[in-house]
Amino acid sequence: MRKLFRLAALPFALAICAATGSTGASAQSTGAGLSGATVPPATFLSAVNHDGPKSADELTLGMWSGAGNVTTYTIGNSWNDWVLWLVFDKLREPSPYVGKAEDWLATSITQISDDARVWEIKLRDGVKWHDGTDFTAEDVAFTFEYYREGPANRWTHHASAVPRMVGIEVVDRLTVRLTSEKPMPNFDRITAADLPIIQKKQWENVKEPRSFTDLGIGTGPYRIVDYKADQYYRFEANEDYWRGAPVVKRLNLVMIKDPQTMFTALKTGEIDGAARPVPPELVLQWKADDDLEMISAPTLWGAWLDINVARKPFDDRDLRHAVSLAVNPQPMLERVMLGQGKSGKHSWPHVDSFWTKPDLSAPYDPQQAKAILDERGYVDTDGDGFRENPEGEAMNWSLKIASNQPLFLRAAEMVADQLADVGIRAKAETIDPGSMSALWRTRDFDLRIADITPHGIADQDMMIILYQGDKKREMVFDEEKADIVSRWLDQETREDRLKVSYELQEYQTRYPNRVMLWYPESVFAYRWEAFDNYVPSAGYGIFHKYSFLPESARGETTDPLLY
Amino acid sequence: MMVYARIVVQYLAVFVVALVVNFSLPRIAPGDPLNYMLPEDVLASMTPAEEGEVLREFGLDKPLPVQFANYAAGVFRGNLGVSVRYGEPVWGIVLDRLPWTLLLMGWALAISSLLGSGFGILAAWWRGGRFDLSSLVAVLFVGSAPPFWVAMLAITLFSAELGWLPSFGAAPLGAIPGSPSYLLGVVERLVMPVAALALFQTANILLTARSSMSIALGQDYITFARAKGVTERNVFFRHAFRNALLPIYTNVMISIGGLVGGALVIETVFSYPGIGTLILEGVEARDYNLLQGVFLLATVGVVLANLIADLGYPLLDPRVRRA
Repeated sequence: MRKLFRLAALPFALAICAATGSTGASAQSTGAGLSGATVPPATFLSAVNHDGPKSADELTLGMWSGAGNVTTYTIGNSWNDWVLWLVFDKLREPSPYVGKAEDWLATSITQISDDARVWEIKLRDGVKWHDGTDFTAEDVAFTFEYYREGPANRWTHHASAVPRMVGIEVVDRLTVRLTSEKPMPNFDRITAADLPIIQKKQWENVKEPRSFTDLGIGTGPYRIVDYKADQYYRFEANEDYWRGAPVVKRLNLVMIKDPQTMFTALKTGEIDGAARPVPPELVLQWKADDDLEMISAPTLWGAWLDINVARKPFDDRDLRHAVSLAVNPQPMLERVMLGQGKSGKHSWPHVDSFWTKPDLSAPYDPQQAKAILDERGYVDTDGDGFRENPEGEAMNWSLKIASNQPLFLRAAEMVADQLADVGIRAKAETIDPGSMSALWRTRDFDLRIADITPHGIADQDMMIILYQGDKKREMVFDEEKADIVSRWLDQETREDRLKVSYELQEYQTRYPNRVMLWYPESVFAYRWEAFDNYVPSAGYGIFHKYSFLPESARGETTDPLLY
Repeated sequence: MMVYARIVVQYLAVFVVALVVNFSLPRIAPGDPLNYMLPEDVLASMTPAEEGEVLREFGLDKPLPVQFANYAAGVFRGNLGVSVRYGEPVWGIVLDRLPWTLLLMGWALAISSLLGSGFGILAAWWRGGRFDLSSLVAVLFVGSAPPFWVAMLAITLFSAELGWLPSFGAAPLGAIPGSPSYLLGVVERLVMPVAALALFQTANILLTARSSMSIALGQDYITFARAKGVTERNVFFRHAFRNALLPIYTNVMISIGGLVGGALVIETVFSYPGIGTLILEGVEARDYNLLQGVFLLATVGVVLANLIADLGYPLLDPRVRRA
């Protein structure tokens, strides 16, 4: 009898073990594929911590970067994607940047195959779209198909490139199975935590998504009720939000491009919050302001020096190594950012990213830089104090910055001075922002300073996207780097992928095509008397949907705040 | 009659040239709309066919001559294409923003014309006196101050320090259009932008009016009129002012072009949703369709202004009428 019982119990035990093991993939992992780096806590900066209201009938926030039509095709950068998240949800949240995400539209995400190519998603029952219809597996499958087959946007790579989905299957009303071309061991941590889910009913007949101007229908805590693109947006709380009705009933976003105007409007009370980092000099001034409060919240942005590896002599990786050794970001952090941030000497990815190799550092060593340049034949042949290339031709590098980035101009001047110290002549030049963004495609520059979003610097998949495609392959002509990238794509576990990522990070630090300058500390200000319940979420600052959810509904989407 | 017909034909020719220039100008700048629409990392992995698919949505994948033909035909059909930045028909966007710019420019033009002409004429009449000297000093100061700087000072004083006026926008959010609170909000938001824009133009028109009036007052017919015993009032209004009016009128018409440029800066500082900010946004996004539409509007506006000026001369000057 006992024997019979044991035999009968065995399959149940095995089933329990299998379930525990597979759901472990969707639980918060603290060890698997994590480097140990964590985002530092946010810091309350104001001298006095007032106790303002934790809810509000209406809030008006200023924004400076347009949100288009609040669709995935007209929002493309990390300055304004938080607007999208007011309306749309993801399978897991808050983001792919922090190595932890909790189930949101999904109740579980399970790796089915050993090679991490097949995943199964169980969806939350009872979630409604803003038009009252049910959210189902059809919507999730449609989202992946639309992004894989349709026009490209900032999110479509999750289905069309890294990873590329080759199988999208609706198993039942609340279950979707996805199969990718290459392993995707971080699907639950990255793709699922980044991709906004769109409604099949609204989007299935949309052939020209950039001209789609209807009010977006999402599952998020806010309905968009009125907007004029890049002028204002008005949202109303979704009282039936499955996570709990938002504590701010009406949210207005107004576009104020000029920074002085925005911060004046905040000071006068015309707006209740400024969704734009407070300039360093204003931070010092406002710390003791009785009307305002400020929080330094990690946004995972960076400023970098981009080197055009498609142009000689920058295709010489040893030259780039020398440039990296010659640049010292610390003075820039102190003088340009007034110390508000971290030095970029850690290199890439973001120093606080969960997949950052510990103790990675790009040293500052001008003497070694000079030695490398001498060895490679970059010597001063005409005695003017500046080096020529090995062919004897003068090197006059242009260092381009966008004219709407005054901080970068000062940084560019400092970079030029540091390069001059090792005998390289460089000159800062400003160009209009539109031309600046065209430079990358035309490859018509030597060096440029630009900022990089969390998407580019804290998303592990994104790092590889940057080496995919014909244009980028020219940046990977180095066989050693190409081999690392290829191996990364084939890794089937988080741990193995992380190891290869460390190799790529080491290689990138030594032979960079981009030299990190600094990681800015982002400080945000708001009027505490209007609403005093903002919370930080890494990559988003304090203005995001989680700040407007009831405290009990925020879960793991927010970060600690130190007082 | 023939005079008027000739003028109209000339302006039509100008219009055609303007169409060509408006089409070409946005395309001269480096880059294209793809850089605005998609981040670098996405562009990196796109094939030319995929890029073309994105541009196809806005008719920008076709050869340039075809694009121009579509643009020219569209102008006469009232179809200026779809904006890359907004995804909406350009015509609708322009019509939505135009009233705000007309409001801003209209008031700035009216105020600067009246004040500039009035003070300039009086300065000439009291030439060498205290009013003349102080107005010249004021003009030199005001005329040298860039409008954006004046705007920022105004925001600092009237919004930040005194809290009298709102610092951004064209209308209060949430107010019902046409309601008293809406209208009051619109007026409040006009004060500083109009003042900043009008100040610079006032200085310019004042100098022209002063100069023109001074020249007129020095003419022989003025001496003769006084010798005949004409009253100073009639000398002023019936003789000097009428002759001084033509250059002032010309300058006022020309200043419309300057107001367009000034409006661009002022609208940006005050986040005023007019044509000026539309130009800036279009340039930033390399939104060819939007820029073509806005430049066309500006061209039509300037051409119309000049046409009105030309048609107005015969009314002001009988000599032109007889010629």
